Amino acid sequence: MAKMGMCDCGPSYAGRRQRGGAFLDRLAGGLVHAMDRALDADDLARRDGLLQRLDPRVKLAGLLGLIVVAVFVKSLAVLGGLFLVAVALALPSQVSLSRLARQIWLKVLAFTVLIALPAVFLVPGTIVARVPILLWPVTLQGIRSATFLLGRAETAATFALLLILTTPWPHVLKALRVFRAPIVLVAVLGMTHRYIFVFLESASQMFASRRSRMVGPLSPSDRRRVATATAGVLLDKALGLSTEVQLAMASRGYRGEVRLIDDFHATPLDGVALAGFAAIASAALWLQA
Amino acid sequence: MTGSLERPVIPAFELVDVHYAYPGAPALQGLSLTIEPGQRVALLGANGSGKSTLLRLLDGLYFADRGTVSAFGEALSEARLQDDATAFAFRRRVGLVFQNPDVQLFCPTVFDELAFGPLQLGWAKDEIRDRVAATLAEFSIAHLKDRPPHRLSGGEKKRVALASVLILNPEVLLLDEPTAGLDPQSASELIDYLVKCQGSGRTVIAATHDLDIVEDIADRCFVLQSGRLAASGAASEILDDAALCRSAHIAHAHYHRHGDAVDHHHHHRHTSEAAHGGLPQAAAPTKASQTS
Amino acid sequence: MDPSRRQRNSARAVRAERRDMHIPDGYLSPSTCAVGLAVAAPFWYVALERVKRLLQTRLVPLLAAVSAFSFVVMMFNLPIPGGTTAHAVGMAVAAIVLGPWAAILAISIALMIQALFFGDGGITAYGVNCVNMAIIGSLVAYAVYQAIAGRAPIASTRRVVAGAIAGYVAINAAALAAGFEFGVQPLLFHDATGAPLYAPYALGVALPAMMLAHLTLAGAAEAIITAGIVAYLQRANPSLLQTTAMAANDQESERQRIAAAGGWRGTRPLWIGLGALMVACPLGLLAAGMAWGEWGVDDLQSPEVRQQIAQASGNIAPPEHVPAGMERLASLWTAPMPDYAPPFLHDANFGYVMSAIIGAGLIVLIFVALSWLLGRAPRSRARSA
Repeated sequence: MAKMGMCDCGPSYAGRRQRGGAFLDRLAGGLVHAMDRALDADDLARRDGLLQRLDPRVKLAGLLGLIVVAVFVKSLAVLGGLFLVAVALALPSQVSLSRLARQIWLKVLAFTVLIALPAVFLVPGTIVARVPILLWPVTLQGIRSATFLLGRAETAATFALLLILTTPWPHVLKALRVFRAPIVLVAVLGMTHRYIFVFLESASQMFASRRSRMVGPLSPSDRRRVATATAGVLLDKALGLSTEVQLAMASRGYRGEVRLIDDFHATPLDGVALAGFAAIASAALWLQA
Repeated sequence: MTGSLERPVIPAFELVDVHYAYPGAPALQGLSLTIEPGQRVALLGANGSGKSTLLRLLDGLYFADRGTVSAFGEALSEARLQDDATAFAFRRRVGLVFQNPDVQLFCPTVFDELAFGPLQLGWAKDEIRDRVAATLAEFSIAHLKDRPPHRLSGGEKKRVALASVLILNPEVLLLDEPTAGLDPQSASELIDYLVKCQGSGRTVIAATHDLDIVEDIADRCFVLQSGRLAASGAASEILDDAALCRSAHIAHAHYHRHGDAVDHHHHHRHTSEAAHGGLPQAAAPTKASQTS
Repeated sequence: MDPSRRQRNSARAVRAERRDMHIPDGYLSPSTCAVGLAVAAPFWYVALERVKRLLQTRLVPLLAAVSAFSFVVMMFNLPIPGGTTAHAVGMAVAAIVLGPWAAILAISIALMIQALFFGDGGITAYGVNCVNMAIIGSLVAYAVYQAIAGRAPIASTRRVVAGAIAGYVAINAAALAAGFEFGVQPLLFHDATGAPLYAPYALGVALPAMMLAHLTLAGAAEAIITAGIVAYLQRANPSLLQTTAMAANDQESERQRIAAAGGWRGTRPLWIGLGALMVACPLGLLAAGMAWGEWGVDDLQSPEVRQQIAQASGNIAPPEHVPAGMERLASLWTAPMPDYAPPFLHDANFGYVMSAIIGAGLIVLIFVALSWLLGRAPRSRARSA
């Protein structure tokens, strides 16, 4: 219900294309985008798919385990295989290839290429080619190294995204208890996530109201002031909110000991899935040796 | 005071000369009042008159600097609430619904929110699950079970907030500005609920600005002004006292429209007929009266 | 360009710029990640204990609120003098307002949410990211802030400046650590063909690259946001700056009390930490190669080691002849325990640990002697205070 998005001021918005406005757009745009993406993830997690049907504890252990394996393997072929496993898990879970590409593959590619590309030329080793005109040496080791980087980054990110898109966040947190995460941590994580949305909305509203009151372009020092003032107000709100929430918790009986309850029900499918994850992990580790 | 024959009944709350100050700002300055069990009470007063502070004192979240606050016949002090057993017992008997839903709803999902109170009080997990399911159904929010709070509308948040407090079945329900920020439909649902509380045995104490609803939701009013009790009495008495309403800053003149209501019936006072803006011809107002 | 396209483009730009501090998966080897977790764990444990004692029922909501704040601030696109924008982490703000221990926890939590939920910053690299930003960042920021702000009045400009410098130094310290972690990867971890398995750039490239970006952009962003928030709090809510200012005074009187009493209590966590580090130092043996710069005369003369040195230095070969000064000074001092191996022990690992214990013991002895010598005068001052 709570639909969040950029303010739809229509013509007046387009008309006020000042530099200051653009700055506030960028400032706020990232925030709104984050909220939208989170809401999106929430929707996907409720659809009926392969991964959605699994117990969150199994998913957490399995997918995180595969991420660790992906970082562990020393063979490019096995890494490629793991990537294919990730894609194979995505499709029956209602996570389309285009979504994967849009949300992570391209993003990770853009970032990793920046870092990995120079490696192709800089890493010492056997030269296999030279860039025409510039004559920079392209080494085999450089190519392998860049491929490892890219492969690991993409594979790990895909598994992580699958976990998040197919499991409601509060369930991910409670599943952390399986790894003996301290209960305080789980409680704090849950509450933090809850309040991130409150503050994202606050900050967006503050920016939107500033933008609507702006007449001319903002100088750089003005922009800094806007950003830091918003951050200051946000911090103030955050601390004030925490005192009020403490009272609200006390009012319902909280005395300092955190207690949680989960609604998890493991089914035989989960046993099969767990075995499957373990099999893939062991196969990967064995094959790469 | 009602003045009728009373059997000695332990008041739900009794305040005697209570003082409470925030750093640099006094909030309550010598407040004394008594609330009988089963009463529906409205706390009226302008902003800063001490309504919220009073509610928090009644809920054992703040403790008086001077004077005594008693709940169910026993003193409510910080020292007494240090003991786990006393504290849990008290928390079960008194519930407070905060005004700001972002404060009231601090759990990741609606299910967690409802389960929070029972969990703290140490109920068995299975019993908690059953009770949560029953309460969700009772408030017609079962479909919201796994929703995070930021995906709820204002009215849904209020229902969840109420459910999360009422799941413990408290004897006393405290409400801070219950209809603030609610759309008309949700507000009227809430008011219906509070209306039904009459005679249920539950003590309801609501701090509110909304004069329109006071006569529906309360049998008795306390008017606070500058941290003291300015007046108390039946809701209609208080609202009829225009001078009091003005001096305590709780009356307001505003423009509104009635539909084709034959029975024109409103609960607040206008400063002049003109401000009323277009009455349907038919009905003579049953309870309205012009201020002289 | 319609608003939604613009929004997506800006969001993409936001995300791309945000990456320079958070290490993603695949850049650090599993052993590095494990070491990161192992180093972070004791700090988390101590931080939690201290904060629990201090905050009690306020712990959960306060940590949650500050972590959420930190997370949101990490998304702000701050304009830097020069025309570009960068992102701040807010580590100094958290340390100034909450003190170092709660800040460690708050930033660690914000990082976990970034890693798990929003998929930024690696999951395997979580421990290392926390060590860099949450632990090193917070502790350095706190120390610098207290050192510069001292006992200045809450509303003074000095505190604003202290905040700015604290933020700047802290994020560069974090970047230094990250650069170091990147830089040792190719040295330690490569496959059969010699290709680096993880971050491919040696220290010579990694360190300058990380430091350049942070000394300029990210450092400026952190300084700006810290100064801005300190200034804002001075006007709007000075009591929030009070807690750490008071803590500085508390620490002073506590230090005097400990000095007078010969306090073991206050320093116990440090002893435990020292002990843990001593036990953990055989991890240093994982370094199959050689610490960069720590070469002896024979190393510069042996061809295999020269090859290693060249690899670690971005393909720059070491000088052909051993530098004259080095040769002259080489024979000046013969260590009692050369190469961390007491001569009477044959097992290299055990020898390593032994030398750690002996080394640490010597340092402790020296400090005890020093403090005994110096401690007599201040103790009488403390008693009369």
